[in-house]
Amino acid sequence: MAGAAAVAAPSVFSGTANVIAVGVLLVEFGMFRQALLRGQVRLYAAQSTLISVLAVVVAAARHLPDLYVLAGLSFALKVVIVPVVLRRLLRGLGARGEGPGWTDIAGSGSLSLATTVLVAIVLAAFGFFSVAALGIHSPVLPTTALAVSVAVVLVAFVLMIMRRDVASQAIGFFSLENGVSLTALVVAAGLPLILEIVFLFDLLVAVVVFGLLIRVHHGRAESLSTADLTRLRG
Amino acid sequence: MSPVLPIPVVQVLQVVTIAAVAPGVSGVMARVEARLQGRTGPRVLQPYSDLRKLFRKEALAPEGASWVFLAAPLAAMTCYLTVPLLIPVLTTFGLPLGYMGDILGGGFILSLASFLIAVAALETGSPYAQLGASRAKTFSAITEPVILFVVFTVALVTGTDLPYALAATVRSSAGQIVRPAHVLAAAALFMVILYETGRIPVETHSGTNEFGMIEEARPFEHSGPYFALLKWGSAMKQLILYTILINVFVAPWGLASTAQAGSVVLAIVALVAKAVALGVVVAVIDNSFAKLRLFKITEFVSAAFLLAVLGVFTLYLGGG
Repeated sequence: MAGAAAVAAPSVFSGTANVIAVGVLLVEFGMFRQALLRGQVRLYAAQSTLISVLAVVVAAARHLPDLYVLAGLSFALKVVIVPVVLRRLLRGLGARGEGPGWTDIAGSGSLSLATTVLVAIVLAAFGFFSVAALGIHSPVLPTTALAVSVAVVLVAFVLMIMRRDVASQAIGFFSLENGVSLTALVVAAGLPLILEIVFLFDLLVAVVVFGLLIRVHHGRAESLSTADLTRLRG
Repeated sequence: MSPVLPIPVVQVLQVVTIAAVAPGVSGVMARVEARLQGRTGPRVLQPYSDLRKLFRKEALAPEGASWVFLAAPLAAMTCYLTVPLLIPVLTTFGLPLGYMGDILGGGFILSLASFLIAVAALETGSPYAQLGASRAKTFSAITEPVILFVVFTVALVTGTDLPYALAATVRSSAGQIVRPAHVLAAAALFMVILYETGRIPVETHSGTNEFGMIEEARPFEHSGPYFALLKWGSAMKQLILYTILINVFVAPWGLASTAQAGSVVLAIVALVAKAVALGVVVAVIDNSFAKLRLFKITEFVSAAFLLAVLGVFTLYLGGG
């Protein structure tokens, strides 16, 4: 019944990869709306879980046993260790001196949520169309997942630019790294394991550095907002 | 072998099924909602009793309201009775009148009904009904792009925008179900349905708080049989939208592939079961989320828009 102009469905592997990639992008959009610091960290953990699942899918589809190790490591690091470290570093920064759980970071966006989402959609579209313009076609490469990963990176930038609180900016940076891992998984699944592990530990260092920066900022400005940082303004 | 029903009978059955089952589905949802909140809740058949009661009551019109006020419920009901002809309610194959209109055609008829009810609400001069009408039109203007993008997705996936064609495509292989464009379009449509049927997070379905009312405020001034038609119509609209989501997007299985009486009856049972299942999901959502403030509804719609647009994007690269 389908007409001749219909777009054919992708194979089950690239279909699954694309769905997971789109899930990663949607979580990235979810971060725009998240009002609690705790929720923001949870969204990051959810996004990282999706990346680990994608690693398992790619490992199974391409018969790369290394990737199972990578999936396990990235799960342990990004879903367990990084959120725990972040929560420890952010403890006591809440308005009431409580845990990071109830730190309210809502309303730190410089535009309204709906407008931010529209801006991010435009940027994501740019990512999509720029990858399409490259004209990469390969039977083993899920092109859509590649385009989505570029969109994730761009949307993470929007998150870092639009939110005026240091915590969202840090998590925007970490989720940007998730976008890059997504690209790596899709394009270069056979990357040597040692390199992937080095990237992961790089992230851990970034987490500690960002955590310390957040604490220092909070110590000086008494808030997580960067709106008060105006001393150098001419 | 069961006897083969004439095609026109099947066609009429599609409309009759929707009209007859719709209040029951609303009843089940009200019951489930009440149980989730720890109340006993009304009987499942309560909506039928309500309708019977209302049909016996006297009809009043506000002073100064013209004939439009009384004609609108009838015209809206006619629209709701027309749409089931266009969508796959019971059969996998297109019935003769099924090709009168595509998804957009069905959507136009549904919006015509909603427009007529809004006009009738404006006729009343009652502030609440007018407020409801104005809000309903404002927000349906911003959900319209979402529906358009869902239709674009369907058109790109099937090469046509007939609902029967998409249902057949979804049935054809597992790859069609996991493809992101399809998942995204279905999710976006579900969010639009939550809006269109006046469910949380957009509107409290059973509330009496006028400030948050959108759809529910419009029939404030109607009474008697006219009010019954509006209530019945809104239950039918809900079931029509559920049927589109279930039988076109999510689970187009259990439909009759021939006009045999046995398989048609089976299709009716399957439709009721699937609609009730979806209704339970909606009731759970109703109980798990808070209602959005009126000015936050744009955020809800922007999320639905995001899903629908991403669906088209993924198709653009041929990977959707």
